Amino acid sequence: MFEKLLSGGKLEKKVIESIKTHLKILCSATECFENSIITEQKEGTFCVSDLEREADSVRREIITTIHQGAFLPFIRPNICKFIEIVDEAFDILEDAAFEFRYVKDEIYKIIKNECIRVSKINSEMCKLLSIAFDAFIGKGDLKEKSLAIRIYEKQVDDLKFDISEKLRTVEIKDFWDGKTINDFVGYLTKISDLIEDASDYLYIIELSLR
Amino acid sequence: MNTKVKEIMNTKLETIQPDATVYDAIEKLVDRRMRSLIVLPKDDNDVYGVITVRDIVFKVISKNLDPHKIKIEEIASKPVISIDKETEIEHLIKLMEKFNIARVFVHEGKQIVGVVSLFDVLSATLIARARRD
Repeated sequence: MFEKLLSGGKLEKKVIESIKTHLKILCSATECFENSIITEQKEGTFCVSDLEREADSVRREIITTIHQGAFLPFIRPNICKFIEIVDEAFDILEDAAFEFRYVKDEIYKIIKNECIRVSKINSEMCKLLSIAFDAFIGKGDLKEKSLAIRIYEKQVDDLKFDISEKLRTVEIKDFWDGKTINDFVGYLTKISDLIEDASDYLYIIELSLR
Repeated sequence: MNTKVKEIMNTKLETIQPDATVYDAIEKLVDRRMRSLIVLPKDDNDVYGVITVRDIVFKVISKNLDPHKIKIEEIASKPVISIDKETEIEHLIKLMEKFNIARVFVHEGKQIVGVVSLFDVLSATLIARARRD
């Protein structure tokens, strides 16, 4: 569907390649964060900030190329919106990585297994979003990818509920310990929401092109 | 599909003593938002069992029996059907079909470590389909 709009334009091809790169960086960032969570190496989370900066420059390049005239005007805002949602996922991932560095080990141990599962699902969702984008620009079935992403998001929702239940049993004496763990869990579980939004947005763009 | 059971199993498990009442089980199932509980062995010679929402509805509620008076061991299914966590999903599906069951427990050695439901199988299948480029 989408390839009809490309019509061999150089700028369009440049944007598509950059979006693919942008999504690949998101996959790397979520994987890197997952490793830090599994190994509990808080220093490892700095890779997320590095990748976020890298992604930021790719995002600027995409927006600039679009404003240079890539794609028909009616579709430009939709592509920009998709990029913004992915960019927000980067921001939230960076926030989660920041908070993780301040989470108290004894509190984290209680919810470690659930957090590992959430971060694994986040990584898998990013890979699926990348596959969904390939399907969007090619001839794949975007609806199937979108459904799979929704299934993953539901799993994260259930895990969020389990984490909240476990945390409610913990006595937290320090305000900052409570705020940090609450923010960390909030950010960690929001990443999947944003990936789902991005996937939904791709599907909406595809529908609008029919 | 080459997916192993351990990749899709749910590790959230709840247990109940065989001499508890069905009402205790109902409370646990509602509180934990679950559909089955593992019934612990009575002694070293006993084995694990399972009690599901289905058992409670068909064996107690529909027969107008008092859940406060019925013991878990009276309606639990024993032994529990379980598979090794390294088993592939294809075998799991065959097992579910053969015994006409909606969930299978997963063991690691003698320990029960997880449960896989039909919905987990459906989700895993859809995700695997979507992953194919």
